[in-house]
Amino acid sequence: MQYENNPLTPHLDIYSWQISSLLSITHRIVGVLNIIATILICFWVIIVTTFDLSYNTFFLFINSYIGKFLTIGLCWTFSYHILNEVRHLAWDMGYGFDLKTSKITGVLTIVGSIVLAIMIYIIGKKLI
Amino acid sequence: MSKFSIPENSKIIKGNYYKDTTGSQNIKKVNVYRWSPDDNKNPRIDTFEVDMDNCGPKVLDVLFKIKNEIDPSLTFRRSCAHGVCGSCAMNVDGVNTLSCIKSHSDINGDLNIYPLPHLRVIKDLIGDLSNLYKQYESIQPWLKSSKTETEKQEIIQSQEDRSKLDGYYECILCACCSTACPSYWWNGDKYLGPAVLLQAYRWISDSRDDEKKARLKKVADELKLYRCHTIMNCTNSCPKGLNPAKAIGSIKKMLATS
Repeated sequence: MQYENNPLTPHLDIYSWQISSLLSITHRIVGVLNIIATILICFWVIIVTTFDLSYNTFFLFINSYIGKFLTIGLCWTFSYHILNEVRHLAWDMGYGFDLKTSKITGVLTIVGSIVLAIMIYIIGKKLI
Repeated sequence: MSKFSIPENSKIIKGNYYKDTTGSQNIKKVNVYRWSPDDNKNPRIDTFEVDMDNCGPKVLDVLFKIKNEIDPSLTFRRSCAHGVCGSCAMNVDGVNTLSCIKSHSDINGDLNIYPLPHLRVIKDLIGDLSNLYKQYESIQPWLKSSKTETEKQEIIQSQEDRSKLDGYYECILCACCSTACPSYWWNGDKYLGPAVLLQAYRWISDSRDDEKKARLKKVADELKLYRCHTIMNCTNSCPKGLNPAKAIGSIKKMLATS
């Protein structure tokens, strides 16, 4: 390539964020967080079912501010991932590519994920 | 592995400041990316104070004004100046567009002009698009027909079939979409990118073409096609209002259902 050693033009730092690109990268980050969270929850279930002592420690942790933040945060990451995955499903079926439609569904995903997260948290609290 | 940071020789250094000499009250600061192959310096951002009272309405007019009146060494590509040729594609105010159809009055504050992102710069606002053209060649963008010479003289197409090309044949290959795509930034050597995939779809959906299956097979590749994650920066930036994301989605759907 003739210009191989020429400077690379700026990309990430100069390109404006769009709703769509922001949602896309969030989807990826949240996906990774969800995998980590799922693994940790599995470990927790194993520990709780094996030693009853550790449950108390967990109970204290989950009722602390960090614990509550983490729980609500995980409710949100799961809700967001599910709702955005619905968008992807629609795209795979060929719907919702229109610029306006994709922006509306994007905003709906953000709002919906927050509502869903709060709902899951409150219902979960009631059940416990 | 993707390289997110910019190489050492591409880091932007402080550039020159060109103060207004006309004494105009209506000044806009225009920041332009500059790099010349003639000296061994890093790219820089030059700031020009431009008198907007005596300037045409488009971003391209601003660039011409700078070139004519302030710094004749400013280098950019343009040809038709009416949004038909696609030469003047660049990054204006953070989004790729054709500078000849973008109004500078739409932009508040300073006007930032960069070349198309993640390309090797040739000079100032010109990036090297040879990789994209090579990929365009690879999809064989011409009619492939198994008909004989005489049959080929006129291949009749119904209005309905013709309308399937609407929204795709209008593409002028300005490369705004491909260079707006983060997937194309990180995997541009293998992933075809929105512009080329839109063109691929244009030929796949042409009723007069007889190699639909072969074309689909060729494009069905983990890296060539499925690096598209529907980020939709392409559709957001297309200056002709086309929808490359939809074209790629349609190819994926065709592959899933065939």
